[in-house]
Amino acid sequence: MKTNYEPKPLFIERMKLLLGEEEFKKYFDSLNSESFNSIRVNTLKISVEKLKERLIEKKWKIKQPFRDFPEIMIVESNLEPGELGRSLEHLLGYYYIQDISSMLPIISLKPNEKDIVMDLCASPGSKTTQIASEMKNSGVLIANEINLGRIKILASNLERSGVMNAIITKSPSDVFCKKMKSLEFGADKILLDAPCSGEGTIISNKKTLLMWNKKNIKNLSKKQKRLIHSAIEVLKDGGELVYSTCTHAPEENEEVIDYALENFKNIKVEKISLPNEFKFRQGVTEWNGKEYSSEVKKCVRIYPQDNNTEGFFIAKIKKEK
Amino acid sequence: MTLKFLNTKEREKILRLLEEQFGIKNVEGRFIMIGKERIFLYNGGLSKEMMEKISKITNLERAGVYFGKMMPSGNGEKIRLSIEGTQILKEEIRKNVFELSEEMVEEWMMGRELNIKTGKRDFLIIKHGDDFLGTGKVSEEKIGNFIPKNRRLKERG
Repeated sequence: MKTNYEPKPLFIERMKLLLGEEEFKKYFDSLNSESFNSIRVNTLKISVEKLKERLIEKKWKIKQPFRDFPEIMIVESNLEPGELGRSLEHLLGYYYIQDISSMLPIISLKPNEKDIVMDLCASPGSKTTQIASEMKNSGVLIANEINLGRIKILASNLERSGVMNAIITKSPSDVFCKKMKSLEFGADKILLDAPCSGEGTIISNKKTLLMWNKKNIKNLSKKQKRLIHSAIEVLKDGGELVYSTCTHAPEENEEVIDYALENFKNIKVEKISLPNEFKFRQGVTEWNGKEYSSEVKKCVRIYPQDNNTEGFFIAKIKKEK
Repeated sequence: MTLKFLNTKEREKILRLLEEQFGIKNVEGRFIMIGKERIFLYNGGLSKEMMEKISKITNLERAGVYFGKMMPSGNGEKIRLSIEGTQILKEEIRKNVFELSEEMVEEWMMGRELNIKTGKRDFLIIKHGDDFLGTGKVSEEKIGNFIPKNRRLKERG
């Protein structure tokens, strides 16, 4: 990899184990490519057609990669660094700059105008604004975030996107869920986009390699289990939860879902439907000598070499009535 | 952060100002005040009672979108709408609108005052075509700019 941030040998070893030698090569090569300039039209402020027209007028070459999701666009022109974020259309909140893989958890969650939705680790707000857009600025949207600095970023992004149906709360998400439960509050849908080791973001941020270490993965896995436990408790019977991370480490992904299945007998893993044009792989059922429930095969793994996007993991859980 | 849910009288005062200043007759959603001046507009389904309960168990930082600010004006007050405030109400705005030329849009979005004689002294909604760009404070010689720093166009290097 042509970078000052060389991957640690243990990281390479783990990725080879996860992907196999041949696929690992493709994965490793893909880290040198640039991910797409992808944007999502903010339909709270402008129609897909109108924005497309405006961007074409700016001589931007626009591709809509998914037939069923025209609001997702790739800007194929060679833009100057930062140009996407500096345009008038962005400053006015007409589009949100977001990696395609990061849009998929909300496509999986399918929030609607009547739902009560919680977004538990909400900052910087890309998925919160996407939820608000799907909900057409109605229903109940609670965006929680623990860190005040990150809340400021979240609030700024929600404001630019014209989100009117959200409240922002500041609390550790597990504590927040317990407190909400004490108010007899129940959510129809929950997004738990958990804090993670970020292995999937290496394609766009090589610094992740510097911070990577196995101890961090172990600690995050514990935290993620705590978060999913409290989230399931505040989910209504019949409600749905999407758990996502931007990492490949099975300890932070399938192991967390396996933990949830072990601890809650009234949940099941749901099959996820994603755009047909998008390539993804199923969850792994074995890692480092641990076997997970075969149910975790329904989870989705996204690798950068498959779609030229960041890597992601998505699982959808339904709480039975 | 202290959020104050505006009562009927306070809501009516805002609605009256909106009608007087911009001819706006209809605003959907609930007004919430954060601090002494900043007004937010919430359109979600949480009741006031539930929000109050939530604010007792955790820090409730925001509700809805930043809509505008109460500003002292003469002996009374006026309302200055945010970019989002003008965008949300664009179908309702009937008066005190200033249309920018193509050239002026860039100046405005860079946060600069516009040296234009309007002959007015008031708050005007600033727009260009379908784009609503917040509110400006007009004196006889110029239009004062309130575009926040994080929403400004950057100078071309």
